[in-house]
Amino acid sequence: MTSSTTESPVTVEEEVLYSSTVTAVGEQVATFVEGHGILVFFGVDSPVELHDFSALHEATVATAGPRTGDVIELGGARIPVLAVGSVVEANLLNLGHIDLKANGAPEADMPGDVNLPVDTLVVPSAGDTFRILRPAGPVASPEDRS
Amino acid sequence: MSDYKSVTISKGRGGWGGPLVITPTADKPLIYSVTGGGIHPVAARIAELTGGQAFDGFKSSAPFDKIAVAVIDCGGTARVGVYPMKKVMTVDVHATSPAGPLASFIKEEIFVSGVGVNDVVEK
Repeated sequence: MTSSTTESPVTVEEEVLYSSTVTAVGEQVATFVEGHGILVFFGVDSPVELHDFSALHEATVATAGPRTGDVIELGGARIPVLAVGSVVEANLLNLGHIDLKANGAPEADMPGDVNLPVDTLVVPSAGDTFRILRPAGPVASPEDRS
Repeated sequence: MSDYKSVTISKGRGGWGGPLVITPTADKPLIYSVTGGGIHPVAARIAELTGGQAFDGFKSSAPFDKIAVAVIDCGGTARVGVYPMKKVMTVDVHATSPAGPLASFIKEEIFVSGVGVNDVVEK
C-alpha cells in the first residue's frame, strides 16, 4: 500500500513507527491548514461527518504514536515534533486520528495536540505518504509525553 | 414512549461546560459513541440510565436527527466542535475547553468535558 512516488529515504538509524497513505482530502482541509495551521487525520472507517475537514488515510504500519524529537514525514517533507499531548497515541492507534498543529509551541495545550514548527504544514494530496519516524540512539525523556 | 429517563451530566476534573440534561426520545434514541475501542463506558452508562440505545459511530453512521447525545474522546481540535456545530449535545471524556477552528460552536449549554462514568447521574 506504500506510495510508489518519491519519498525521502529513511536512514538505517530511523525506526518507522507509523506509515499510511492519504486516500482522500476533505473540502475544509485547506481552510484548516491555511487559516489555522491545523491538519486533522482520521482513519478511512471514521464517521462521515468528520470527513469534510479531515485527510483520510489507511495505515500499513501502526506501532506507536509520536513523541518529542520524532519526525513527521508528509508528502516527502520532514517536520520535527515539538510536543505531544497525552491522548495522541491512543487516538492514532484506535481511530487513525491525529491533530497536527503548526504552532511552534513547546508544550501541548490540548491532550490531542501534536505541535510542529510554524508554517510547516501544507495541504496533502491523495496518494501522499504519512509517516512517523524515530531517530535511533538516545531518546526524549518520558516527561515530554505528558 | 415514556420509558426514557433523564440524566444530568456534569463536567469532571479539569473539564468545562455543562451540566447537560439528556433525555432520549423515540425520535432521538441514540447515545452516539464516536470513540476508540467500541462503545465508551460513559456512553454505556448514559444508555443504561436513560434507556437510550448505545451506538458505535465507527461501526456505522447514524442520522444526526436520531442522536440524543454524542460521546467523544476528542483531544481538543475537531470532534469537540463538529457535533455542537450540528446542534448535537456533546460529551467529551477528555478535559478539553473551547479551542480549535470550530471553537465558536462550543457552548456550555451543548458541551461538557472531562466526563467520567460517575459524572452521569439520574435526574
